[in-house]
Amino acid sequence: MTTTLLASTRRIFELALGQMLWARRSVLLALAAGAPVLLAIVTRLTLAGGTAFVQINGRRIDSEAVFGSAMSLLYLRFIVPAIGVFYGTSLIADEVEDKTITYLFTRPIPRGAIVLGKFLAYLVCATAVVLPSAAVVFMVMVPFGNMAALLGSFVRDLGVLVLGLAAYGAVFLWAGALFRRPLVGGLLFVFGFEQVAVILPGYVGRLTLAHYLQANTTSVVCLLLVTIVALWAAMLVIEHREYVLER
Amino acid sequence: MPIHDQGYRRYAGGRTSRGRAWLVIARAGIAARVRERRFLALMLVAWLLFLVRAVQLYVGTTIVRASFFAASEETFHGFLNQQRLFVFFITIYAGAGLIANDRQANALQLYLSKPITRHDYIAGKLATLAAFLFSVTWVPAMLLLALQVLFSGSLEFVSTHPRLVPAITITALLQIGVASMTMLALSSLSRSRRFAAMLYALVAIFTGAVGGVLQTATGHAGWMLLSPQNTLAVLTDALFGLSPESDIPVAIALLGIVALLGLCAIVLERRVRAVDVVA
Amino acid sequence: MIVSAEHLSKWYGHVSGLNDVTLSIPAGVTGLLGPNGAGKSTFMQLATGQLRPSAGTVRVFDEPIWGNPSQYRRVGFCPEQDAFYEHMTGRDWVAALAGLHGMEAAAAANAAAQALEAVGLLDVADRKIGGYSKGMRQRVKLAQAIVHDPQLLVLDEPLSGMDPLMRRRTISLVRQWAARGKSVIVSSHVLHEIEAMTATVVLMHNGRVVAEGDVHQIRALIDAHPHRVSIRAADARALAQRLLVDDDVSSFRFEGDVLIVETANPDSFYSRLTDVAASGEAGSIEEVSSPDDNLQAVFSYLVKQ
Repeated sequence: MTTTLLASTRRIFELALGQMLWARRSVLLALAAGAPVLLAIVTRLTLAGGTAFVQINGRRIDSEAVFGSAMSLLYLRFIVPAIGVFYGTSLIADEVEDKTITYLFTRPIPRGAIVLGKFLAYLVCATAVVLPSAAVVFMVMVPFGNMAALLGSFVRDLGVLVLGLAAYGAVFLWAGALFRRPLVGGLLFVFGFEQVAVILPGYVGRLTLAHYLQANTTSVVCLLLVTIVALWAAMLVIEHREYVLER
Repeated sequence: MPIHDQGYRRYAGGRTSRGRAWLVIARAGIAARVRERRFLALMLVAWLLFLVRAVQLYVGTTIVRASFFAASEETFHGFLNQQRLFVFFITIYAGAGLIANDRQANALQLYLSKPITRHDYIAGKLATLAAFLFSVTWVPAMLLLALQVLFSGSLEFVSTHPRLVPAITITALLQIGVASMTMLALSSLSRSRRFAAMLYALVAIFTGAVGGVLQTATGHAGWMLLSPQNTLAVLTDALFGLSPESDIPVAIALLGIVALLGLCAIVLERRVRAVDVVA
Repeated sequence: MIVSAEHLSKWYGHVSGLNDVTLSIPAGVTGLLGPNGAGKSTFMQLATGQLRPSAGTVRVFDEPIWGNPSQYRRVGFCPEQDAFYEHMTGRDWVAALAGLHGMEAAAAANAAAQALEAVGLLDVADRKIGGYSKGMRQRVKLAQAIVHDPQLLVLDEPLSGMDPLMRRRTISLVRQWAARGKSVIVSSHVLHEIEAMTATVVLMHNGRVVAEGDVHQIRALIDAHPHRVSIRAADARALAQRLLVDDDVSSFRFEGDVLIVETANPDSFYSRLTDVAASGEAGSIEEVSSPDDNLQAVFSYLVKQ
């Protein structure tokens, strides 16, 4: 008898969470999430000191608008896709490259549980680092008196961040399960194709995940759909694919 | 019937002089990589821009003698800037595993138990990556210059732009040096080539984004020095005699590059060892 | 039969790993023997569902193993590769893998402790695997294979990297498991250790099975190949005169005070040798050995055929 998918997923999640939390590469995660906080502090101090001001297209903008720009440019266009690529591609591919996947494959668990458990661990870790970072940036950049008014949209932005992390993570998890060297292709997609496609006219932008990183119903549904389909595809791949470990 | 001794015989052939072990490592690394079709495809794609520029030069010298197509220092400067994208991907593809794979396979002990020094090993690995980067920066740029001379039928372009050859060479060397040393240092930090690739992408892309945001927020151009790419851009603008896009003094930019290379050298010195002690 | 393979083949691109192997492995300990590239690891990976057959079938406990994870309740696999979650302690790692068998935390911890004790690692169980020696790493790998008390153990080069004392202990463990009714498939290059574990062997070469069965039966099948006997005697020449009178001696030679005899009928020859030794007619006999009556000789002969 096989352990149920749910129970197996929980065990893999616990194992993977421990791996991710103590891995050296989590330093990368912390750096990626910490940099916007540093930027926010520097910007706020500079603005408060009156030594400089922020201009975009020749217009002076206040710190709230800077926060909005940071969310869309830094978090949504860079940090979320970067974390999705870096971690998503490594979830299965690292186990294969390190040849430790044999130990997971020789347990009475559905192989799909490995995909789900690792994905959940990634999502928990990434969310636990990125959301507090965004919250700190919000608190630093937005004047205290304006926080209440902006709280609603900020919470929606946090939701988009989580969905973005989930969607990118799932897509690149699938890529990592399917291809031997998914990272270069992932970087090409995120920092090549997506950066260009979102500014092209017509429907080209809709072929990117970045297009759906918005707080509206259609985008939320699309991101959820992409996440579910990519996870299902990754589970299919890992169930049927054989992994020949290099000797 | 004479019976020949089948036992061990000492090598009696010639030996190369010491200090050329790096060449053996480089040759082996290059040969291993060249056998991969995917990598060859990437290298071919890296030459596409050369074809586009070659056509531009041809049109500019023979068909339409218009200023838009005419070659200038900006043409070669722009070409080398555009090749930075391929430098990035080739560095990740060919460079991430250079030392990381050896660390994972515990091969450093094997290498360093031979009569080669750690510097031979590092030089060999550097040369492996540098060879590929050389072939997508300096080689196509100089070929473009040669084509310009061929299409125009005279050496006038080269004589009227005397800084072009040294500018192309030094720019290519800087690009290759910074990319190779950074990638090698990062590769030596881990047993996972994927992690090394991630670190390099962080250094190459993230630092630029952060520097840009800080510059916009504070108005101080110095934040651009966070990014090796932006720092290199200051130097290449100066080498090609173009007006600088930022206020960073060339000397400061040069200092930044030297500091980065020094840091990479220190990392390599500390990390390339035969034995890792795990506490 | 515990493991049955029918016309099993596996190829990696153009390279054949296993070539039309039909094999049935019975209960008990079976040694898989062959040089590098013979196909032993490929067979073990097929038998443990790590690889999918390119052709043919492989069944474990009469059920297919590929895509059938429930089988892993009964199968424990100790792979050849030296790969671990280096940041984890031995105890945590084995317990985590035990947990994947459905054990609750306390039961998994208990099972992990028992497995680690069996392989002699309990005193270093709380040290990180990254700090283990090669022998310890090999043992912790063994521990994860036995933690869930499987019915079939598949051990790929389990003795590699172990010191002599630990090798002996592991061989003894294998025998204990067999005595408790478990089945073990073990591969090794160290021939006398395979012989110490079992007399049932499968010899492989170039992806094919060369021979299988009891090592002595295999030897008996090769009766066309003369059996060599080496006898150290006080008076080797006198001994030779006494022994060479019968037809069962094909040839002989001297190496100092050692008489090397080739016989096509070893049973008859040994019987006469015993009589001569007992009578004392040809002086004292100090040592009798047969370099052929071991796996190496059997294998070398079969592979050259």
